Amino acid sequence: MELNKFLTGTNSTSVLDNILYYLVLAISIFSIIPFFTIIINSSLVNFDYSLLIESQFLTYVRNSFMIVSCVLILTFIFGVFSAYLVTFHNFYGANFFKYALILSFAIPPYIFGYSMSAFFENYGVGYSIINFFFDTEMANIYLPDFSPITNSVISLTFTLYGYVFLLSRASFINQSANLIDLGKSMGFTPSQRFLKIILPCARPGIFVGLSLVAMETLSDFGTVSFFGVSTFTTGIYNSWFIFDDLETSNFLSLLLLFFILVFFTIENLSRKKSKFHLLKNDRRNKKTDLSGKKKFFAFLFCLSLFTVSFIFPFSQMIYWSIKFPEYFENLNILKLNLNTFLIIFCTASLIIAFSLISNFGNRVFKNKLLSSFSNLSISGYAIPGIIISVSIISFLSLISGISNLNLKTLFIGSFYGLILGYFFRFYAISFNGIKSNYLKINYSIDESSYLMGFNKFKTFYEIHWPILKKNIFFIFVLISIEIIKELPITLILRPFNFETFSIKAYNFASQDLIEAAAIPSMFLIFWTSILILISLNYFFDEDK
Amino acid sequence: MHFFIFILTLLSIKFLSAEELNLFTTRHYDSDVEIFKDFTEETGIKINIISGEAKPLEKRILDEGESCIGDLFFLADAGRLVSAEKKGVFRKVNSVSLKQQIPEQFRSNYWFGITKRARIIYYNPTKTSLKELENLNYEDLSHQRFDKSIAIRQSNNVYNQSLVASMIENNGVLKTKEWLKSFVKNFSKPPSGNDRAQILSVASGESKLAIANTYYHALMASGKKGKEQQNAAKKVKPFFPNQKNRGTHMNISGIGVLKHSPNPSNAIKFIEFLLSPKAQKHIVDNTYEYPMIDSVEPSTIIIQMGINFKQDNQTNVSSYGKWQKEAFKLMKDANWN
Repeated sequence: MELNKFLTGTNSTSVLDNILYYLVLAISIFSIIPFFTIIINSSLVNFDYSLLIESQFLTYVRNSFMIVSCVLILTFIFGVFSAYLVTFHNFYGANFFKYALILSFAIPPYIFGYSMSAFFENYGVGYSIINFFFDTEMANIYLPDFSPITNSVISLTFTLYGYVFLLSRASFINQSANLIDLGKSMGFTPSQRFLKIILPCARPGIFVGLSLVAMETLSDFGTVSFFGVSTFTTGIYNSWFIFDDLETSNFLSLLLLFFILVFFTIENLSRKKSKFHLLKNDRRNKKTDLSGKKKFFAFLFCLSLFTVSFIFPFSQMIYWSIKFPEYFENLNILKLNLNTFLIIFCTASLIIAFSLISNFGNRVFKNKLLSSFSNLSISGYAIPGIIISVSIISFLSLISGISNLNLKTLFIGSFYGLILGYFFRFYAISFNGIKSNYLKINYSIDESSYLMGFNKFKTFYEIHWPILKKNIFFIFVLISIEIIKELPITLILRPFNFETFSIKAYNFASQDLIEAAAIPSMFLIFWTSILILISLNYFFDEDK
Repeated sequence: MHFFIFILTLLSIKFLSAEELNLFTTRHYDSDVEIFKDFTEETGIKINIISGEAKPLEKRILDEGESCIGDLFFLADAGRLVSAEKKGVFRKVNSVSLKQQIPEQFRSNYWFGITKRARIIYYNPTKTSLKELENLNYEDLSHQRFDKSIAIRQSNNVYNQSLVASMIENNGVLKTKEWLKSFVKNFSKPPSGNDRAQILSVASGESKLAIANTYYHALMASGKKGKEQQNAAKKVKPFFPNQKNRGTHMNISGIGVLKHSPNPSNAIKFIEFLLSPKAQKHIVDNTYEYPMIDSVEPSTIIIQMGINFKQDNQTNVSSYGKWQKEAFKLMKDANWN
């Protein structure tokens, strides 16, 4: 009865509206706390700007630029081409690869880096394999010696191309068969059709995939520091860890964020000029068979991609776990699993609830202030985890300093603090995920609902929620995958004795025992793979 | 609102009995955790742990201030101990037994060295004879005869910074700057990988000399990393430099009591425990470091490397903290990536 009154009541509507409005505003402001703390702490006025023309800084920029460009080019080629093959063609294993290639998401770039280095180092795994077959001491010479930048590019490419694969495939699936047939009748060769029709039509999806890759690459620290490349993020760390200069570190983070925002704006502007439509009654594509040679190469391409990105790191982890079973002894596997599930459940639920409210509010109020705050609120995803943690600590000290609330005790080194950290970092995934689904619901549906006498809340409950809920599970999975892999925030903000698989893997790797790090890494990959597998249907919702 | 916060606080903080100690550590050894359990058995005091990286933990401790429930901070480099001391992370500790057990250059009034590590040179006897290395000092590594033959990890590594800092302390900024210029030209390849990667580079014949901490080699030799690594470890030999003057560069892992520690007396008890022969033996047998107290021998593997070498007992490790930033600047200026 009460609920019904709440949903239909007309008297209380304006009060509820007000509450909703301020709630959404509060959520949006809350989620940009790290962004503002970084601005405050980077002391823009007193900053020694001459640092920016020093050779060291230019090296950071050059290396970051180089790594991002190479990773973008390679993920574009691997992601788009493999998505094209499995979507438009029949060849051996095509149906397997369309799912298998997503598994690369399960491997964090830093773990890929560990396995690469252990494989190619002198007297490493690669050496053992060659030595086993040929019994030669020369094995070390046959193995390639990649430069630190090449190593980083490879690790990032094979763990991130999944974004491009996933998003370009989603666009390909929705492409109109009529357009492609039109190309055929105009006498386009298959490669012309690919370049002139398929690729341009999928541009928005591909671009979103590439921008995710760019963000992840720019804010990556684990991989580049493991291989020792001086990039923007290592600059952020060096200014703090070596020069004890947190202000410069904050300033560089802000600069990094600025680059990313510029990148986004350019993308948005360039897209506004063109419109991409899918007509509802359009025919779907039929897959075509590839001829003999092409069939084989398509298979080989996808197989190599799958092997390098997933089988290569995962099998090494399994190999070490079997070879060094003694490292199982020190692991409290049950507790690690419980910790992981608990933190995932609490954080993902909170993030999803907040982003639902925020998206709903943005939709019903169509308020500029709200929407600009909400757009900023996704910035957390582009800020390196360690900087987010520091800004949380600084912010809590600030609040505790000016008020009587001792928020520090509550949030630093507690479960809640950890949730807070993950919230800031991963809110964007959920907010954007729900937003893109909301955009699919036409505004005219809302208007019809109001005409039927539903208020805003009933419209949400009866109309939006049934459409959105299908995807909530998928978003839950995406956040979970990120949380399982997360390292820097967990390292700093966790409570005493609280450990996760990524922390364990990091601890062993720090002791130079990658063999022992294999077991927690294996569990980490196992759980992320399971999450991906149970949500496969959601990855390609329309692929029926 | 206040009630809500009160309830959350109740949920989030375990009421600390006097029988618990909270430890922040940048050492990631499981064997450390095992010996902490022995302490709990002996005293009934439970040790809670957070491991992580030095600066973020330091920031957390400082910003938490009086509400920080931590008691101890365990760090794996002298420079970092000094940095934490300067910022007021630690409280002054007056313990006669600690002062008696730890040599003066490995402690301050605020922190205490628990283990020592040596940063030494490794060579491949099939490529380099011991005679070539006779009386070799770190200072000689800039010599032209070592052109393109030295493997060492990157400049952002704190052990390298401390090594260069110790050279600044002993030879001055200008001389070290000159030394670095020629030293970096002698690198066999662009620095990458950890200390073990440098040792492997010498084992495979790619580089003539490697600079690395002793425990990396010991870990390989122990077989904990498999047969291939063990065999590779046998291909290299350790060389302890600067024997005719100040001695081989030593660094420490050290611990201090936090300024706002709720249980300082137990915390001191814990440090004293870490210096007991039993704890020292357990630590060095597992981590292959050198013990701080004389009555304990290092692990067998370390003994086989040779323990009768002259350790640098004249350079106070506090100087590493003093010169680290300068050292890093000079290293970068010399194009040490």
